[in-house]
Parts: sequence; C-alpha cells; structure tokens
Amino acid sequence: MTSLTLRNLSKSFGAVDVVKGVDLDVVEGEFVVFVGPSGCGKSTLLRMIAGLEGISGGELRIGDTRMNEVDASKRGIAMVFQSYALYPHLSVRENMGFALRYAGMPAGQIAKRVADAAATLELTKLMDRKPKELSGGQRQRVAIGRAIVREPGVFLFDEPLSNLDAELRVHMRVEIAKLHKALGATIIYVTHDQVEAMTLADKIVVLRDGRIEQSGSPLKLFDDPDNLFVAGFIGSPKMNFLAGHRQGNRLVIPECGGHQIAMPDVKNLPAEGEPLTIGLRPQVIGRGGGEMLPLTIEIVEHLGTETLVHARPAESARNLIASIEGGRDLRTGQTFEAHFAADSIFLFGRDGLRLR
Amino acid sequence: MSPVSRILRSATYLGLGLAALISVFPFYWMLVSMTNSAVEVANGKLTFGDQLIANFQSLLTEVDMVRVLFNSTVITLFGTILTVALSSAAGYGFEIFRSRFKDHLFSLLLLMLSIPFGAMMIPLFVMFAKAGLLNSFAAILLPGIASIFIVFYFRQATKAFPHELRDAARIDGLNELQIFLRIYLPVMRSTYAAATVIVFMANWNAYLWPLIVLQTNDMKTITLVVSSLVSAYNPNYGVVSVAAVIATLPTCLVFFILQRSFVEGLTGGVK
Repeated sequence: MTSLTLRNLSKSFGAVDVVKGVDLDVVEGEFVVFVGPSGCGKSTLLRMIAGLEGISGGELRIGDTRMNEVDASKRGIAMVFQSYALYPHLSVRENMGFALRYAGMPAGQIAKRVADAAATLELTKLMDRKPKELSGGQRQRVAIGRAIVREPGVFLFDEPLSNLDAELRVHMRVEIAKLHKALGATIIYVTHDQVEAMTLADKIVVLRDGRIEQSGSPLKLFDDPDNLFVAGFIGSPKMNFLAGHRQGNRLVIPECGGHQIAMPDVKNLPAEGEPLTIGLRPQVIGRGGGEMLPLTIEIVEHLGTETLVHARPAESARNLIASIEGGRDLRTGQTFEAHFAADSIFLFGRDGLRLR
Repeated sequence: MSPVSRILRSATYLGLGLAALISVFPFYWMLVSMTNSAVEVANGKLTFGDQLIANFQSLLTEVDMVRVLFNSTVITLFGTILTVALSSAAGYGFEIFRSRFKDHLFSLLLLMLSIPFGAMMIPLFVMFAKAGLLNSFAAILLPGIASIFIVFYFRQATKAFPHELRDAARIDGLNELQIFLRIYLPVMRSTYAAATVIVFMANWNAYLWPLIVLQTNDMKTITLVVSSLVSAYNPNYGVVSVAAVIATLPTCLVFFILQRSFVEGLTGGVK
C-alpha cells in the first residue's frame, strides 16, 4: 500500500494539451476512480502514473519518491488493461509469473506467489491453459492475478470490465471490491461507467477536458455536485435539467408553460430574469413534496420494483425521467403530476456552477 | 437443384479442373522428363521412363552439385534470416514508435518500390565493384536484406498487434529489444512464417542479380546452373529436369512445412 501525490500534472501531445494541471492526493489503501467522458484524459492520466506516457509538467510522487523519470517497471505499480493484455503464447502460470521472472526472483518464490494468487482468484485448475482457452471473465481474473503477484504499492485498472457482458461485469465488480477489501491495496481505476465508479470508489475523480471537475466520495458527488457537468454525469438515470429564471422567490419554467415552483434555499440569489438551469434527480420525483410539474407520460419502463417514467412538459421537446417506486399502474399518454420537494432542487448559474 | 444451376456448377468445376490441370502439368512434365532421355523428351514422351539414374549421373558429372547446393543454401538461409529479422524490426518500429517524420520516410520507401530493378542494377553493380564485393555472398545478400515489401508487410501486420501487450511488457520490466524478441516475435509467428516463405522463395529462385555479381563457377547457385544447362549448345532436357526438380524441392518443402501459418499470416491472424 502506498500513497500517491499528483501536483499540477500535465501532458501535451505537440500543441494539444490532454491533461491540464491535475492536483490529487490519494491516501494509502484508497480506491480512487477516475471517471469522465471519452477524451477527458482519464486514461492518459493513468498511463502517466504507470510510466507508459511521459509527464510534460508537474510532479508525480508514489509514496515519498518522485517518479516523473522512473521507468514503468520500477514504480511499484501493476496494471490491469481493458483488453487484459495477456501474453497469448504463454500459459496462465507463465503469464502470472512473467514479471517476477524478469525481476530475477527465485523460481520457488515465484511458484508460491503464483499459486497463492491463483487460489485467491480460483484459477488453480486453469494454470496450464493458454489465454485463448479461457472465457472473458477468466482472462480478467488472470490479468488481476498477474497484478497481484507483483505485490505492488498501487494497482492501476484501465477500464477492466468494458469487454465483459453485463452479468459478468456486475460479478467482476463485486470481485474487485472484495479484492480491495482483502488486500487493502491502493487502487486507481479508470472507467466511463459512473455506476462502476459509484459502487467501487472511496473517492471519485470526475474529469473533463483534462481537468478535474470535482473529486470526493460517491455520495458527496451525488448529493452535492459542484457544477452542471458533475450533476449530469453522476447518478443513473441522469439528472433532469430544465431552463428557468427567478421571479421574486419563485422559479419560472418557460418550457412548462411558465409554470412556477418554489425557489430553493440558496445564499447568493441570482438576478431576476438571469438564465438558470434547474436540476431534478429522477429519484426525487414522485416521492411527495410541495412542488409539482404537470407532465404527459411518453414512455413507461417497468423494472419490477421501480418504474422509469419518461414524461414531457407541455411546451418542451425533451423528456424528464422519473424513477418511481412501484408505479405499476402508470401508462403511456397519462397525465403525470411530478411531485417533489423544493429542497431537492439543484440550481446552476449561467456559467454552469452550482448556486448554493 | 435446378437443371440450370446444375449445368452452371458442372461448368464451374470443369473450368476449375482445367485450370488445375494447366497449373500442375508443368510439374508433371518436369517429373516425367527427368526419367527420360533427351531424345524422348524432345519427342514429347509424357510417361515415366528409366533414365533417372543416367540423368542424375550426367548432372553430377557436369556440375559440382554439392558446391552449388551449398551456395544456394547459404545464400537463402542467411538471406532469409537477415531479411526477415531486419525488415520485421523496421516494420515494427515504423508502426509502434512515435515520430513526426516516420510517415514521410515510409512514403519515400514505398515510392522506391516503384523503381524497377533494371534501373538500379548498373549503379548497384558499380557500387559493389568499387566496394570489392563482387563474386561474394555479401554481394548477393546485402541489396535484399532491407526489403521494402517485407517492411511494408510487417508494418501492416503490426497494426493488428495489441499495443497493450507492449505496455504490459514495459510494466513487467522488459526493454524494447526484449519486447520485440519475447513478445512481438512469438505473437506474430504466423506473420513471420508467411514472410519466411516469401523471402525464402525469392532468395532461392533469385536469378538476375546473382547472374550479374557471381562470376566464377564455384560461386554459382542452383538457378544459375539450371539456366546454364538450358542455354547449352545442345541441352539435355532430361538432365535439365533433374536439376529443375532439385531446384524446386526446397521451396516446396518450406511451403508445406509452413503452409498453415503462411495462410494465417497472409490473412492477418494474430493468435
């Protein structure tokens, strides 16, 4: 277990800045997830930590040691790749022991470490197989095993579940969470799937355009997003947004036919008439409260215990999504009164920053 | 099956059979001819005869076959190993490493493919003559070992090589040469097999350049010997056929040994 410090870390490819001054502290044993849309720089940042990409500016420390110029193999990290990156010509056993052999470890010690990791990951029966003889989930476990045997200070995961089907992804997600608990290792994990981020992370780092938009615990980001981007990115289904403006102590929503709702409690009141964005989580709709939006149901998705309702305000082309408990009687075409509490409203200014 | 499609299918098989016959016939003729005398071959005899041993003896009397086969083997083995090693490393490098000049340089190399060998032959000859390398194995090997076509072939094949394997190997502590030898080479073995067959055949069957630079009998290769037998004042086609069969056997052998990997390599398989 090792801590990790990123100070003003940046990366440029020619004139293109991909990572722009990232500051981050990762404490020992923390599970940190980098999340963001494609091209936000999360994988590049991970590769910079791994030593697979050079660092254009700033400083990277693993533990107390500056690592900017240190070779990838000497950083005390292990990495699990999206495509698993198992050597196809080697058996599972050889794949897992490969790095140790190159590090000059005695054969007996390698065999013991590999056997221990294989037992942990239930790979013992597959040790003599080649990667092409394994299923996707088994390959993923071998890739993780290959990382474990190195006993690294930091584990790096680059979208490790993206190539798995939905069921296996959920299974492996749980396995990774268990592994983190068992090893107590420092993990940095890259994904574009915010559900993975929410379920696995101690700390989520939301990246956009090479910068950190916000970092914090999953629930902190869900409950208290700093800006429109984080609010929209964290949470599934994603937050509903409506355009509006303040009028007195009311919010006017033109796309709901000028319908008015109560202004949430914010310290710095926006100017009257200033364009605002109103955010409503799908989960707060239909849970009661004094506010209401009149909607017409367009699509109903019955998921068993809950129902996702896609409903449209009167003068809007876009649907709002409500996640309703039960909701078995809801039908397409029905009028739907979306009730919610005023304090569940998120308000964002013209610059996209949250008004608190 | 309707009568029309049955006729079409029959016509297809007939056409294919005819094409196969045309392809195989020269080989059959060669095999038959090596068992017949010069007169029988000239008379168009197409059945096996009893002159095989006599033709063999004539060939061994006329030509120092051990020396000729040694020359061809040395040139082909070293030529193949050096060409595949150097060109695969270049193709790998062109695809894997970042450089703003690599695409321009590669375009220049591809442009050189369009220059016919005939145009380069005389400058090359002069160059080797000045270097004092005429009539040596080096003269045969050097112009061919940086084969642009094989560099191009490996660059294209390397596009299918998973770059994450290289990343994983770097984290595992391998340097670039070790990655090339321990990871790339075994992963791309079918590509290597296909390249080996192509380069082996090209080296074994090379004719024009060896004809120009190899000037003494003790340096001659099998293709030059077959050619000299054919161009004799009164060629004995029975003997020529024995030499032709000997010249053909190694390429057939290499092809059949590497056949499966050859097909995989040409269809871009990374296993």
